Amino acid sequence: MSTTSQKHRDFVGEPMGDKPVTALSGIGEVLGNKLEEQGFDRAFVVLGQYLLLRKDGELFTEWLKDTSGANTRNATSCSQCLREWCDSFL
Amino acid sequence: MATLRSKSDQEIRELLDEYEIKHGPIVDTTRPLYEKKLKEAMAKDKKVTKPSSDKTFYREEQEEVTYVTYRTPVISEVPSGDGKPYMRSRPEYSERDFVDDKLYSRSRPEYSSGRQYVDEPHVYNTPSYSSYSKPMPVVKAGGVVVKEEITESSGKLVPLWIQLLVFLIVAGFLYFIFINMESVESNPFNRIQ
Repeated sequence: MSTTSQKHRDFVGEPMGDKPVTALSGIGEVLGNKLEEQGFDRAFVVLGQYLLLRKDGELFTEWLKDTSGANTRNATSCSQCLREWCDSFL
Repeated sequence: MATLRSKSDQEIRELLDEYEIKHGPIVDTTRPLYEKKLKEAMAKDKKVTKPSSDKTFYREEQEEVTYVTYRTPVISEVPSGDGKPYMRSRPEYSERDFVDDKLYSRSRPEYSSGRQYVDEPHVYNTPSYSSYSKPMPVVKAGGVVVKEEITESSGKLVPLWIQLLVFLIVAGFLYFIFINMESVESNPFNRIQ
């Protein structure tokens, strides 16, 4: 748990509701804007994509990098964030 | 290979299964990703199957494979008469081109004589057998295989042109040293008298 950021802990600790996409770990303003342009304006929409990819971390990471231009670190962080959220709430 | 774009979702799904790529439903947002993965898988597949198909095609040049297997021990003929093997390398080398019919009968003697001077004319052999794109001596018709690989240098490996460049630099450097050695052909033991 010490390797995760505060943002990560905040996100996985509760249902995401209508949180913006920037609430996701690894997604800052720049990436958030890129995602919003593509139509992923809420965290739950990105969750939807994650689920569509069958919760496969690698696939999702690749998708995120392609769609938003995220680097590996941020994409992996986001992927992990979603995975843990799903473990608790899905 | 038809463009992936024009295939139906079902076809994409089948292709993904063929390449054993784990996937979810094909939707607007997931399709581009899967197309990309398929493209990579196809490119990798093509590269893997190419060399083996060349194997049967270029039988005559099997000779040259044995010649270049550079794991031949360098110990072989170095102390005795560097002059001779070196001089012979030229005619031997051109001779190689004629060998068409008697491949198999000659392969034995050729191989053993090939050992003698494999270490020196490295500079001769390697330019025509730039097999540096593939790590092992998969030299079957090195020229043709390499050409094809140049056109589809994969994204994951070190680009081919960089490898060739490095190789040329190293070869040039060695050649330069070699040239400056002076009278390599003469007996190095002369001075001790």
